[in-house]
Amino acid sequence: MSGNNTHGWPLWRRQITVLARQEIGRSLLSKRSLAVYLLALMPIGLAALRALFLPESQLSHPAHTTSEFAQIFHFFILRFIVFFATALLFVKLFRGEILERSLHYHLLAPVRREVLTVGKYVGGLLSSSLMLGATVVVTIALFYLPHGSAGLSHLVSAAGLREIFAYLLITVLACAAYGALFLLAGLFFKNPMVPAVLFLGWEVLTPFLPGFLKALSVVHYLGSLEPVPISQGPFALMAQPVPGWLAVGALVLISAGLLAVAARTTRTLEITYASE
Amino acid sequence: MSTSTISVANVSKFYGEVLGVNRVSVEIQPGLTGLVGPNGSGKSTLMHLLCGLLRPTRGTISILGVPADRPEELFRLLGYCTQYDSFPNGATGYGFLTHTLALHGFDRSDADRRTREILERVGLVEAASRRIAGYSKGMRQRIKLAQAICHDPRVLILDEPLNGLDPMGRAEMIDLFKEFARNNRHVIVSSHILHEVDLISDGVIMIHGGSVVAEGSIRDVRGEITTQPLQVLVRCDRPQIVAAKAFELAHVVEAQIVDEATGVLLRTTDAQSFFPALAKIILTTGVEVETVTPADENVHAVYDYLIGDGGGGP
Repeated sequence: MSGNNTHGWPLWRRQITVLARQEIGRSLLSKRSLAVYLLALMPIGLAALRALFLPESQLSHPAHTTSEFAQIFHFFILRFIVFFATALLFVKLFRGEILERSLHYHLLAPVRREVLTVGKYVGGLLSSSLMLGATVVVTIALFYLPHGSAGLSHLVSAAGLREIFAYLLITVLACAAYGALFLLAGLFFKNPMVPAVLFLGWEVLTPFLPGFLKALSVVHYLGSLEPVPISQGPFALMAQPVPGWLAVGALVLISAGLLAVAARTTRTLEITYASE
Repeated sequence: MSTSTISVANVSKFYGEVLGVNRVSVEIQPGLTGLVGPNGSGKSTLMHLLCGLLRPTRGTISILGVPADRPEELFRLLGYCTQYDSFPNGATGYGFLTHTLALHGFDRSDADRRTREILERVGLVEAASRRIAGYSKGMRQRIKLAQAICHDPRVLILDEPLNGLDPMGRAEMIDLFKEFARNNRHVIVSSHILHEVDLISDGVIMIHGGSVVAEGSIRDVRGEITTQPLQVLVRCDRPQIVAAKAFELAHVVEAQIVDEATGVLLRTTDAQSFFPALAKIILTTGVEVETVTPADENVHAVYDYLIGDGGGGP
């Protein structure tokens, strides 16, 4: 019999670490992450282009930069880049291994299926947060630094650091919630991109939905945490903003709930590669 | 639930309306057990059920007292070498095994030490740092086997483990299975090469159309097939005399001189009466007998009688 006598939480912690480390390696270093890297580089490219073509009159005045970045963050980074990058990373946690017919090796180890799910999720969360968090920080820097000392002072000021922290927090929470959703989609659907696009449609429609339906979206809570309010357009239905603590709590609960459903699903997961 | 046997109780598995296995009940004792049956008979389904990779539609399975749906306990006892010839992308032989051992809870130094030992045991030390994708079929079989035995399980389940191995490799692996089956351990091997199953197995489970058609030692299973006369080969100096005398017995239905008159193949419908009668013939005629061996007490013959064209079920 296995000579190892570790049981319970110490074993689960070790297994989660091993699984997360494997997923981080796969997410950051494998060919399958190329699309995620390209997505993560898009805002940086956009910010670099903006820096190159910034009118001289605006160079020493970063006044509009804060609202410009807020718009770019909400409509481009959060709704497009983070959404699709997490879709690509988390859908593959199980679906990728089912397609490459190697998932059974994990199911043949003395690992509770719940621990397997959490380990993979933690790996996906850490890698996506690292990649997309870096994108956010570099993009902010590229927005402010062309403004010279004025831009730099804003970045290192208390207000600037609060902004950076808020955008990073939103990015991590977005990775957590969307990640849990896409991990679950990867367990249920052979082509999880179809439900992903449908969910994107729902997220896009959120500003135009009445308050009780807004509560069923992720972006509603993420938007409430943004440090700079942004206009959703003339047709958007106004709703009471969600307090920060409640938004964070709701996002954590959504993530945990989706992860719990995913863990429950993996408990009865069967290996039938032939049907894939 | 017994903590020394593998128990499958009335297990059925359906894929939608397609039958996988149907009402299978077996008790597998320690030792080397061969699982044989034609392609699509349900061998892999049964092995997957034993390992919890599939869930039974009905029935229960326990491995040494542990239900098959409790992976944390089960895979401390059990190692499974599947038929799937696929591996995690980019994995090296060494990395594949250390990762497996880390999931078993071994710390880094223990995992490294065990990995080196197992690689040596399966003859893959030289190839350890290479990617598995570049391995030959035989090497991939060996690394799968290494993954199944690296934690020293009490139960080893092997789905077609000899596929792709050269004759030398087969012999080495068979020795390894035999060594493993000692010390009261279970080894269950599926193979479509009946000769090999015959060589290595203490007992067999024959499966056909999702149902177990026979289970037990080859001799017991053969003894239960009363529809087929028992074949006995007598090697002696005067086979014609033995043939003539034996043919006078009512239950001997055929006597055939074989191998350039060095032996006689007798077919009898009554094994119990046959052997005392044969002994009497030998004593009264003074024939010098070299060997008396059952000619169809092997997996191949039994398989042929039960599953092949050789006859119906017991």
